[in-house]
Amino acid sequence: MDLRAIIEGLSFQEKKVLITLQELGGGAGATDLARRISLNQSTVMRAALGLSERGLVETQERKFSKAILLLEGQEYARDRLPERRMLVTLAGCGSESIEEIAARATLNEEQKRIALTWLKRRGWAEFLKREGKTFLTLTRRGDAALSRKTADEVLIELLAVEERNVDGLSVDTKEPLRILVGRGLVKIDEETRRELELTPLGKQVLEQEIELVEEVSELTHELLTSGRWHKAKFRRYDVVAPGTPIYPGKVHPQQQVIDELREILLEMGFVEIRGKIVESEFWNFDALFQAQNHPAREIHDSLSLSRPEQTKLPSTALVRRVATAHERGIPGSTGWGYKFNVDISRRPVLCSQTTAATVRYLASHPEPPAKVFCIGRTYRHEKIDYKHLAEFYQAEGIVMDPDLTLRDMLGYLKQIVIKLGLPKIRFRPGYFPYTEPSVEADVYFPEKREWLEVLGAGMFRPELLRPLNIHHPVLAWGIGFSRLAMIRLGIDDIRDLYRNDVEWLRSRRMV
Amino acid sequence: MPSITVSYHDLCRLLGKRVEQKKLCNHLSMMGIEAEAAGDEIKLEVSHNRPDLLSPEGVARALRGFLGIEVGLPSYGLRASGVTVEADRSVKSIRPYIAAGVVTGVRLTNDVVTALMQVQEKLHASLCRNRQRGSIGVYDLDTITPPIRYTTTLPDGIRFVPLDFGRELTSAQILHEHPKGIEYGAIIQNLPRYPLLIDSRGVVLSMPPIVNSEDTRVTENTKEFFIDVTGQEERVVNQVLTILMTGLAERGFKLKSVVVKYPSKRIRAPDLTPQKWRLSAHNANKTIGLKLMPGEIAKIAKKMRYGVAKTRGDVLTLLAPPYRTDIMHEVDLIEDIAIGYGYDRLEPTLPKVLTTGKRAPIEKISDKTRRVLTGLGFMEAMTYTLTNPRVSFELMRKKGEAAEIANPVSEEYTIIRNSLLPSLLSALRENRRNPLPHRIFEVGDVVVLDEKAETGTRNVRRAAAAVIGDNLGFTYIKAAAEALLRELGVAWEVHTARHPSFLDGRAAELTAGDKRLGVVGEIHPEVILGFELEHPVAVFEIDLE
Repeated sequence: MDLRAIIEGLSFQEKKVLITLQELGGGAGATDLARRISLNQSTVMRAALGLSERGLVETQERKFSKAILLLEGQEYARDRLPERRMLVTLAGCGSESIEEIAARATLNEEQKRIALTWLKRRGWAEFLKREGKTFLTLTRRGDAALSRKTADEVLIELLAVEERNVDGLSVDTKEPLRILVGRGLVKIDEETRRELELTPLGKQVLEQEIELVEEVSELTHELLTSGRWHKAKFRRYDVVAPGTPIYPGKVHPQQQVIDELREILLEMGFVEIRGKIVESEFWNFDALFQAQNHPAREIHDSLSLSRPEQTKLPSTALVRRVATAHERGIPGSTGWGYKFNVDISRRPVLCSQTTAATVRYLASHPEPPAKVFCIGRTYRHEKIDYKHLAEFYQAEGIVMDPDLTLRDMLGYLKQIVIKLGLPKIRFRPGYFPYTEPSVEADVYFPEKREWLEVLGAGMFRPELLRPLNIHHPVLAWGIGFSRLAMIRLGIDDIRDLYRNDVEWLRSRRMV
Repeated sequence: MPSITVSYHDLCRLLGKRVEQKKLCNHLSMMGIEAEAAGDEIKLEVSHNRPDLLSPEGVARALRGFLGIEVGLPSYGLRASGVTVEADRSVKSIRPYIAAGVVTGVRLTNDVVTALMQVQEKLHASLCRNRQRGSIGVYDLDTITPPIRYTTTLPDGIRFVPLDFGRELTSAQILHEHPKGIEYGAIIQNLPRYPLLIDSRGVVLSMPPIVNSEDTRVTENTKEFFIDVTGQEERVVNQVLTILMTGLAERGFKLKSVVVKYPSKRIRAPDLTPQKWRLSAHNANKTIGLKLMPGEIAKIAKKMRYGVAKTRGDVLTLLAPPYRTDIMHEVDLIEDIAIGYGYDRLEPTLPKVLTTGKRAPIEKISDKTRRVLTGLGFMEAMTYTLTNPRVSFELMRKKGEAAEIANPVSEEYTIIRNSLLPSLLSALRENRRNPLPHRIFEVGDVVVLDEKAETGTRNVRRAAAAVIGDNLGFTYIKAAAEALLRELGVAWEVHTARHPSFLDGRAAELTAGDKRLGVVGEIHPEVILGFELEHPVAVFEIDLE
């Protein structure tokens, strides 16, 4: 054990306690120590704890009873007991009436009563009735008592100097103590006393030179500018002790996943576009070649609006081309074979698929290459519970370029998944009304140990593309964002994607 | 997606081959049918465009091709049944189309009955749009005396015993009393006359699209079916009949045709003529990203149950089975070629499409806002844009207008928010049991009505922040708002303002030139208490557009 290192590690208070303990003979109670160093007892105890943790001091707790002289007792210690004062007065004047003696002894009524009780009990005086008055006469015992203090008087004097440990008193003080307690002059207190004692290691340390320099708790502006910091010794902090945690302001967990995904797509060269919350049925459905009588367009699937009542349609030429594709198809296609209704196209609807945004983009950017994505809120006619939300995020993207193939689509999906840090992906046929061929991708999540369907993709149908004057293949993919975010965030209740409990938000590590 | 339940044993019997259950499910998945097995039952999810797969018979038919048990176009020896249906003039304005057919050699087992019930139910729900576009009736032909008349009746014009009902009812009573009448009555109840199918002796077959009669019901002894589909669209009724009948043919039953006589025309149903499609091998290869020879494509097409009429150079003439109602364009054939080839065999490729990634400008500003506010120690909240007038206006002590939902799911979500402040106050309410103080913010879209805008509305990106608790009052939130504006590079001005949601004399408007940026202020006590909060709240909201 390096003794110097131990000394280095000691605070000013600790050193002081150690040295004082040596001065007090290697062992002392905390109270005595505190008095000696003129520090408060808790400071001493904190230092003692530090010293005992280093094995320099051993602390012990002892319970003991203490006799304390109460206020009345202290009065008597000064003025003597009432019976003593009466005895002395009586000895001075021979036989006298009680009233006369009490007056001469300057005793009040209460003291007179106490004095008489004890004179009688101790047999110091004789009580004689004469002419309606009571006269006192000194007895032999009383005479003897004049030159000798009683045991309780000795005890009072002792306790007047300082409190005494009951166990430290001699056996013959037991009875006087009981009497004084009975008279309400003394009380007994139970106390715990901490005793410190140097260990052999402590003694060894004390053989070294210990420099005592006053410690500073805070580095202050004054210390810095005056240059006094040079000489100052800074109190060592308990750097290991746990403190109160603080939390940073944070981006919402769901937003963190959005940001992560956005970053990946930007790195892959996709341009971000923004969708609309309120869309026309034309862009939300018609332009996607979703027939006007398609079940997804029914009232129990999407949220329609009563206000605004209508939206404005794009150029009549575009609307006519879309309508024709629905009704009769494009060259090589049969179309849906129903009567297209532009009044339905004008109806506003809460955007139910971010594809609306990507198709709007295609309509205004028909020339390749194009790589865009949209992360936006979409809406469904859904009751909110642990599995369903009425509004949730979708992430969707498209790639347009000559000669793109289905295998290229799989390549993009695979790259997104790899960039998400997920190891495995597998493909199977899927169905979306506006893509053909279509594909579903299952991704393996190691943390859940299961394959989950999180990506859907395909190549836009020609019936969608031709009316927009697009003559190149367009790959389109979508991510089941909520599912991905739930796994990313480790939550099971989909509503937690919108949870705003600050304690919860603080406790969540950033992704 | 519609789902059906099939028995594994029944499926194997239909396949004519026992395939291990797990392998079978895997094959189904590679055909685009999601399969989940539980004991003998397999639950299948079938995509919307393939109603021909809504029965175990249809699934088996596709599987037989996929597994190479039986490839090419299925053939149906369709013969005339001699039964005719006469559709009179009155149906034209009520439910104009009917298709019908006869199935003989029927042997009803439990599996057959279960599958037949299920396929009717699923077709009614999907292709038939809850019986609106089409509805199916299956009857015991022995109880019927043809010719059959497809006509209409007045609501009180006829009485018959509907299926599973002990007594006679009028048509109008059926709509009120019979379970099917209650369920589907809305389709016809406002019509002056109701559709009716009745035989030559006056026996009622059914009142489409509601219910069949008890007299013509199918029993375990039924040997021959008469099947009809009525509806609004001729194409749909024919498709439904074809799917239903060709499915039954997979059981080995015989299909026979029926003649339907309309006042102006005469047709023979079902029409089982295959559809002729041309497929260019070049197009298929170019779309999928393969280099298959036309011969290989022909082989794959047969696996997918197409007939190959001829191959001339690059172009194949394919015959699509009559039950395939989903084929609209060559790309639909190409997808089938990809499926037949095997999605699990398609190697992903990564093309070089040279583009530079670019963040949407508004997202860039939003990100910056998040950095500033989290830097100030604010916690981001994320709330719904769907809300209601009570939270948006009433609790905020103000009047306002917002986009309104016509078909809300609940009273809670009836409008789209036009301010983030009520959302933030709701988020504070969510935190009312947590120790104070709180500093929260949100960056999100609101929707404002705008007659000039294309959709009558505009998305507006806003940032809002709220503080609650000691030493976080007006001065602090104003400083935070100004810190944000400073970082965003906006030259702002502050003006005294009056706003019903704020304490009078403690609200200010932020502007830049003549553009209004937003508000900052201390919330009115009534608003605080309305959101069940008990401490002072100060907020700001700023337009980021």
